[in-house]
Amino acid sequence: MIKTKTTSPVGKSVPRIDAREKAAGEAKFVFDMKLPGMLIGKMLRSPHAHARIISIDTSKAEKLPGVKAVITAEDTPKIKFGSNEYFFPYTVDQLPLESDKARYIGDEIAAVAAVDEETAEKALSLIDVKYEVLPAVFDPVSAMKPGAPQIQGAMNNIGVMLPMQFGDADKALKESDYVREDIFHLQSAAHCALEPHVSLGQYEVSTDRITLWTSTQAPFKVREAMAKTLKMDAADIRVIKLNVGGGFGGKLEMFPMDFSACLLSKKSGGFPVKFTCTRQEEFSFTRRKHPMTYKLRSGVKRDGTLMAVTGEVIADGGAYCSYGPTVIAAAILRIFMVYKIVNFRVIGFRVYTNNPICGAIRGFGGVQSGFAVESHMDMLARGIGMDPVEFRLKNATDPNMETVNKLVISSNGLKDCIRRAAEACGWKDKFGKAKSAGDMARGIGIGVAADVMGSKMYKAHESAGSIIKVEEDGSVYLFTGAADTGQGSDTAMAQIAAQELGVAYERIRIKAADTEITPFDTGSFASRVTFISGNATKNAANDAKQQILNIVARELKLDAGALDMRDEQVVKAADGAFVMSFDQAVGLCYSFNYGHLIIGRGNYNPKTTPVDFRTGYGNISGSYGFEAQVAEVEVNKKTGDVKILKMYDVHDIGYPINPDSVHGQIEGSIVMGIGYTLYEDLRFSEGRVVNPSFSKYRIPRSVGIPPIESIFVETKDPQGPFGAKGMGEASLLPTAAAIANAIHDAIGVRITDLPITPQKVLEALKEKKAV
Amino acid sequence: MKKVNIEIDSKVQELEVRDSELLIETLRDRLGLMGTKYSCLEGDCGVCTVLIGGRNVLSCLILSADCDGEKITTIEGLAKNGEPHQLQKSFIEKGAIQCGFCTPGMILAAHSLLDKDPDPEDEEIARALDGNLCRCTGYVKIIDAVRDASQKINRSTKS
Ligand code: FES
Ligand code: FES
Repeated sequence: MIKTKTTSPVGKSVPRIDAREKAAGEAKFVFDMKLPGMLIGKMLRSPHAHARIISIDTSKAEKLPGVKAVITAEDTPKIKFGSNEYFFPYTVDQLPLESDKARYIGDEIAAVAAVDEETAEKALSLIDVKYEVLPAVFDPVSAMKPGAPQIQGAMNNIGVMLPMQFGDADKALKESDYVREDIFHLQSAAHCALEPHVSLGQYEVSTDRITLWTSTQAPFKVREAMAKTLKMDAADIRVIKLNVGGGFGGKLEMFPMDFSACLLSKKSGGFPVKFTCTRQEEFSFTRRKHPMTYKLRSGVKRDGTLMAVTGEVIADGGAYCSYGPTVIAAAILRIFMVYKIVNFRVIGFRVYTNNPICGAIRGFGGVQSGFAVESHMDMLARGIGMDPVEFRLKNATDPNMETVNKLVISSNGLKDCIRRAAEACGWKDKFGKAKSAGDMARGIGIGVAADVMGSKMYKAHESAGSIIKVEEDGSVYLFTGAADTGQGSDTAMAQIAAQELGVAYERIRIKAADTEITPFDTGSFASRVTFISGNATKNAANDAKQQILNIVARELKLDAGALDMRDEQVVKAADGAFVMSFDQAVGLCYSFNYGHLIIGRGNYNPKTTPVDFRTGYGNISGSYGFEAQVAEVEVNKKTGDVKILKMYDVHDIGYPINPDSVHGQIEGSIVMGIGYTLYEDLRFSEGRVVNPSFSKYRIPRSVGIPPIESIFVETKDPQGPFGAKGMGEASLLPTAAAIANAIHDAIGVRITDLPITPQKVLEALKEKKAV
Repeated sequence: MKKVNIEIDSKVQELEVRDSELLIETLRDRLGLMGTKYSCLEGDCGVCTVLIGGRNVLSCLILSADCDGEKITTIEGLAKNGEPHQLQKSFIEKGAIQCGFCTPGMILAAHSLLDKDPDPEDEEIARALDGNLCRCTGYVKIIDAVRDASQKINRSTKS
């Protein structure tokens, strides 16, 4: 029963559509699912970083009472999968279960399904794998050297090489008044979604079909990879997402456990099989952030004009490619969204090593480049004695421009963001006036960033679809393929549908992300959902609305174009005069005379041009979002501790569909960014994660969270649904640089190596004194 | 095996539990109370928080065999007569719930705090929730929600 009615919900902070059930503990995650006869699945993983697989003997495990199925590569069609198959087909390099070689500690070799966890674990210990251990390599620079162990057969272990060149960088450097070169190191990090990866697969013997429930950000992508690797028709595979306990880029692909859950179910004769990652598996064997080294050499004119950016990016990719190509591309190409650069030459290498696999994580390489580029820009500005805010304003991109690599930027509030951030924090009074009191020094720093809203990664198109059905009783159901993983997209979709249809938000019931029921959607990544799925939903609602208005117009002998729907009423478009209630209008559609079922359809494919990754030209996104962020810090010169006093975030989000939700995304991003800047560090020894637990890998906790002032710049994007742009990643990108720049302002030292630990601060201070 | 009587969400359960059975297993696997989640099983995340006699404890670190005679509240037992607890309402209204996986434990940890200190300062709220991880929200709206709930509870008890 609907108790409250929120009409015209777009722009209002309505409570999340799923908040009640989540607060009550009733919301179901795949993590909570249990089916009759369900078996527990477990993965046998390579204990070696690099080894040839000589033989696998599963006979003892199979005989263990309680074991229902064991699979190895021999049970599979041995078809490889990858995540960037459309643009980078050569990076499709991983088998669901490896057959010849293990390439990292954790590589999936075999899987078992048993009646309980204990039996499954025991079965794993009974599988006898003979390995020939091979020499391994753990850092990308060594891996690129001649004679290094060859991991995938790629030349010099370079999985992806992206050279991007525009204009004449050498000439521009020569014409520059000031040139500097800086090197930045960025560490690996873990997603730490609190719901682990979970997959529950069920094979139906009579129909030869599979249903997979999985905690994923991209159910349609998983289905596609499953169909390919299992050599089945996609029509025979149904992938269902329930509530997802966080993703952050870590749940964007099919995982061997998805594949194995289904194949084990088949081999067991149709018993459902469930895999749940332990926290240690999450840290060690899923995906992680690419550690990167940036070498940047750039030049500026005395007046602050950015003349050229050149450099090299080297990323440790681990044993397989995953989303590596897009990560590298995003790490390089994002700079054009924020700075007007004409002369550019940067080459990116993503290198195979025998470390665990790196993949997508919130920001797709943008966090790494955010730190490197935004620190470097600050250093350039200081080098010519220019205020970093002025420097950024001078070089920032404008609305309605095409960049040198052919990004088409329409609405662009970047300069506004920078100005308003500077105003909000009192930049003029604070910057360069570092206040010291005893051992404590305060400073302020800025960084800027941009968001894409979508990026074609695994298909030629990036369409999303939506269906809206309005039932006879006036209930409204929205079917969307968009995958809410906690960011609130179901709520945003419901708000958009209600607004366009002119009904109360509370009327909308949403069915999302089930490949058999809902329209296609590529998934939750690249901050695309509000923009792309939101447009699809708006179109579907508009279609339903037109159907209703047509019938009302026929009945009243009016022109349908003269009518509109808002606030649960059909009204005259011209003056808003009441015509009939929504319920009456729906009743009319379903009446004796019309008998019209209202089913609205909508889809949306953003206007982009494919990026040619050999040249770097192309327009990756239908629109772009922008932001500026300021950090105020206090550094303890005696202990090296950095305390964040306050963060300011000014964000061009087009228009906020749900302001509280948008602030919530920004706050979550910034806090994640603070963690990465100051302490998050996934560490390795010979390919093994040495801190795979929340006690050893620290993520931000509630104590010490600084105040965050989040401000919107509303540019009302012409393409966005109700002017909205996508968001959710950009606020994480400039955080590290804003903090590092603030530390420099406070104590005059520059940290170029994340995380910024107290020890690094002290060392830098010592070095400065020595000079 | 041990016979225990545990009151869980106002219902007394007579159970025979394994010596090594964790409370989280009893709740989820034996009783189907899936509202209580877990995320590490190592005492590091707070996701599995429940209340025992009003105090927040980690159900992944407690043996059910040691809970004989205890009164346990899980997230599913917090609403009274279908009316959500004020903390639940405030979490909903203040946007403190994103993915919701940390929410049950977070709300119960906050409940335990408000029991001891009905009018906590923000720092005290943060300190009380420090054992409960959340990867989505950055804690800002969670602290807002707890403050809001405490104010509303205080107002309603005064009036
Ligand atoms: S599951 Fe109990 S503390 Fe993490
Ligand atoms: S809301 Fe997702 S972990 Fe807290």
